[in-house]
Amino acid sequence: MGPDPDDRSDASLVVTIGRLRQDALAEVYRRHGGAVFALARRVLVDRALAEEVLQEVFLRLWNQPEKFDPERGSLRSYLLTQTHGRAIDLLRSETARRQREERNARSIAEAGVGLDDEVQDLVVAEQIREAMGGLPDRERRAIELAYFGGYTYREVAGLLGDPEGTVKSRIRSGLHRLRQTLPRAALEAT
Amino acid sequence: MTEELSHAELGDLLGVYALDALDPDERDHVERHLPGCPSCRTELARHREVLAPLSLPAGPPPTGLWERIAMTLEEPPPPLKLIAPGAPPLRPRRHLRALAAVTAVAAALIVVLGLRVATQERRLDRLQAVTAEDAVERAVLAAIASPAARKVELRSFDGSASAVVAVLPDGRGYGLIDGLPHLSSDRTYQLWALAEGQRISAGTLGPQPEIAVFHTSGNIDGFAITEEQGPGVAASTNAPVLIGWLRQS
Repeated sequence: MGPDPDDRSDASLVVTIGRLRQDALAEVYRRHGGAVFALARRVLVDRALAEEVLQEVFLRLWNQPEKFDPERGSLRSYLLTQTHGRAIDLLRSETARRQREERNARSIAEAGVGLDDEVQDLVVAEQIREAMGGLPDRERRAIELAYFGGYTYREVAGLLGDPEGTVKSRIRSGLHRLRQTLPRAALEAT
Repeated sequence: MTEELSHAELGDLLGVYALDALDPDERDHVERHLPGCPSCRTELARHREVLAPLSLPAGPPPTGLWERIAMTLEEPPPPLKLIAPGAPPLRPRRHLRALAAVTAVAAALIVVLGLRVATQERRLDRLQAVTAEDAVERAVLAAIASPAARKVELRSFDGSASAVVAVLPDGRGYGLIDGLPHLSSDRTYQLWALAEGQRISAGTLGPQPEIAVFHTSGNIDGFAITEEQGPGVAASTNAPVLIGWLRQS
């Protein structure tokens, strides 16, 4: 019947999804559903909205598995890219600015702590925390406000009282620094 | 912002784009640029890989949600719009043109009710099932409409070609093929049944196939169509032009 789904690479699982095999999608869900939900929850805070995004992301993978190209990057980053985009859309369409600020104060305060009781990959999580903590405050803050807070870089500039060009370059250098300081193990853990 | 951005400026925006933090006009600029620029696509992919672990630690996904997703996977395709008889007649065609993305429902309606059916994407205007002169055409459509048949939808990589294959319980098989480029006369398309990781030839289809008629037996996982030299081959390792898999229940 073929190798056990547990042992197969992400790329071959996606090929099998193209064969309309639910158990392959279930395995992808088992491997990556938690990360998808965690990111959606981090951005949206609202659990029901996060579940909606989770469902949409997996249905999209089911209906269009060919959109994932393993040459382009990992399945995890593909799913999280979709998740983030959808979550940001929902966030921007749903929330008035003040509500967003309240929500961001909570979620950013919880950044690095994690919203779920069960924790996987404690070592990797610690490495992330260290790498993020090692960024200059202004770089980390700009990335957090944009990525988790859902602000555009212009809105971040307004919030921080910095010129737009400065925010852009802080985001850029923060991401480059993370790329260098995140150990390979953390990047490959996904 | 209507002026064009330089490549350096676009490069500056890639990180922000990866965070979904651009304004719509700048986002459009980046999205227009990306398809033509491999180095920017690579840079963007690197940004995304860095972002992936940032939301760790992640627990398991919520319980109960998988069941909800699984149930949605079983839903039938969206309903088709029907044109009632009495609408202007369709132009008559000499030959049956194959369907694209025909569903079992559509085929059943065509054969049984004689209504002309319009999908939301494509008009099946070449299909005049109930008046089909050709016995083979009628057989093909009947097989596709039969609830006893196992049906497989074949797709090409770029979506420009497709086919529907139906296998009746007695092993008779029929296919409708649409959109395959015509080959020169020294080449042919060939149909393969896919079973247990093997390809079993189900016959050659000629250089301009629209209909396939074949016989098969045993457990089939799917079908593929390849392009071959002249009279066809006994075994092929060519990449399929069209491929599709039987839906497992």
